[in-house]
Amino acid sequence: MSELLKEEELKKELENKFPGELTDITITRKNRIWVSVKQQKALELMAFLKEKGYHHLSTITGFDEGENLGAIYHITDYHVIVNVKVRTPKTEPVLKSVKEIYPVCESFERELEDLFGIKVEGLPEGRNYPLPEGFPKGVHPLRKEVKLDELVKTLDTVKEEN
Amino acid sequence: MAKITIPLGPQHPALKEPENFMLVLDGEQICDATVNLGYNHRGVEKAAENRNYIQDIYLIERVCGICSHSHVSCYIGCVEEIAKAQVPDRAKAIRTLIAELERVHSHLLWLGVAAYEMGFETMFMYTWRDREQVLDCLEMITGNRVHYGINTIGGVRRDINAQQAKEVLTKIAYLEERTKYYVKLATEEPTLLARTQNVGKLPNKVAIERNAVGPTARASGVKMDVRKDEPYFIYDKLDFEMITYHSEDVFGRVVVRVLELVESYKIIRQVLSALPEGPIAVKVPWKIPQGEAVFRYEAPRGEDIHYVKSNGTEIPERVKVRAPTLSNFQSIPYMLKGDYLADVPITIAAIDPCMSCTDRAVVYDAKKGKTQVFDWEELRKYSIDFYKRKGVNFSGK
Repeated sequence: MSELLKEEELKKELENKFPGELTDITITRKNRIWVSVKQQKALELMAFLKEKGYHHLSTITGFDEGENLGAIYHITDYHVIVNVKVRTPKTEPVLKSVKEIYPVCESFERELEDLFGIKVEGLPEGRNYPLPEGFPKGVHPLRKEVKLDELVKTLDTVKEEN
Repeated sequence: MAKITIPLGPQHPALKEPENFMLVLDGEQICDATVNLGYNHRGVEKAAENRNYIQDIYLIERVCGICSHSHVSCYIGCVEEIAKAQVPDRAKAIRTLIAELERVHSHLLWLGVAAYEMGFETMFMYTWRDREQVLDCLEMITGNRVHYGINTIGGVRRDINAQQAKEVLTKIAYLEERTKYYVKLATEEPTLLARTQNVGKLPNKVAIERNAVGPTARASGVKMDVRKDEPYFIYDKLDFEMITYHSEDVFGRVVVRVLELVESYKIIRQVLSALPEGPIAVKVPWKIPQGEAVFRYEAPRGEDIHYVKSNGTEIPERVKVRAPTLSNFQSIPYMLKGDYLADVPITIAAIDPCMSCTDRAVVYDAKKGKTQVFDWEELRKYSIDFYKRKGVNFSGK
């Protein structure tokens, strides 16, 4: 598989650099690497990637797996995308901010807070984004337990109160 | 308060979206700026998790009224990757054709908006008149002017015949002539130069650091274009240039976009001259196997990225949309700092966000310690008058 040379090389490098810390690492196709990393090593891994030239944090996708919440950091050097998955328990969801490494992360991380209720440590206080002000506290619409019809009902109640 | 209850889930500032800018002024110069987003959250991502893959095509298409083809292609790219669908070459070619027609229509629209913000209303009229030609092409091929509905999972929904191809080429020939005139205007017209040169500076290093994408990044000399970096559709078989410019200002962003028009015409010609024969779509089962994929796409405004996760049913587990404007907004405070208040409209317009809903800007005078609220139209007038006093005048009055 000579066309995956760059991807294979990075995979090997990551495995050597973080032995036992990566729970999963796969290459799904050309230009796509998926890595799951333990939370305490996440920042270190991303700092390493940035040093390797993966300087563009395209976006952060939050996800809800039931027991765990988490985020996927889509990091690219404009060619290869490294998708770094970090999980955190739903009972106490906390992730560290990556702003020291990728200063542009603020709006992406606010999304994690608003839509998934993941507390992002190190993110300065700010207004809601992307949810509007006055959106009911503690409702995180992208969590799987939030059902659409119930959400509509909740929002209708808020509307009437205002 | 009424608009608060409209939103349901996450959606990004693509277009037609109100945003708020806080500008701190020292005299007429801006010393600090912040952008507030999130006034138009429509909950597209949550909605996508409650619809099947086919319904989501039409939902995602409505993320944006200008890059509708971009968002759908990006979403479908993820779904097709998970489903391992072999999209026929003819479908890929038609998608490329629509993508480039969309870019032409978007760039012409932007050129008009930028001219309008500068008070160059003649150019605004010209570009929007010419843009009708592209919209006619899109309508002829897809049946629609805005939400084309051409894409489906596994291919496209309509074929293109020889007659249509001929007509597109005639219209492109006309636009090519017109674009020569725009290139001349953009690079030689002294009034336009006075309004755009050294305005909204974004140095190369800052552009990279702040995730600038698309023409905004390329005008700061960042070599980044998904069509070249990670070719999708049939872009790897086409001959076109990645346009970059090194002036790092609004002028550069104008130049990059007008030159990209020329490249798009080149691409459209190549696609139509070598349309592969064969079917336009393959059948893809309703249920998509488990998996996840991420797709990058060069929309007219820059890198668009979607993520889709499937769970084996006909309804996606998660759909994530990140429109290029969100990425480009990070650069705006930097561009505005140190500029005059009169440069705000054109600087913000130069990243090509959705202007019409940019509801208002609050201006804080640091010396007088008071806050004044401008709406966009007032600020535009202020800006045109400011430059008229300096002798930069498009109207000649």
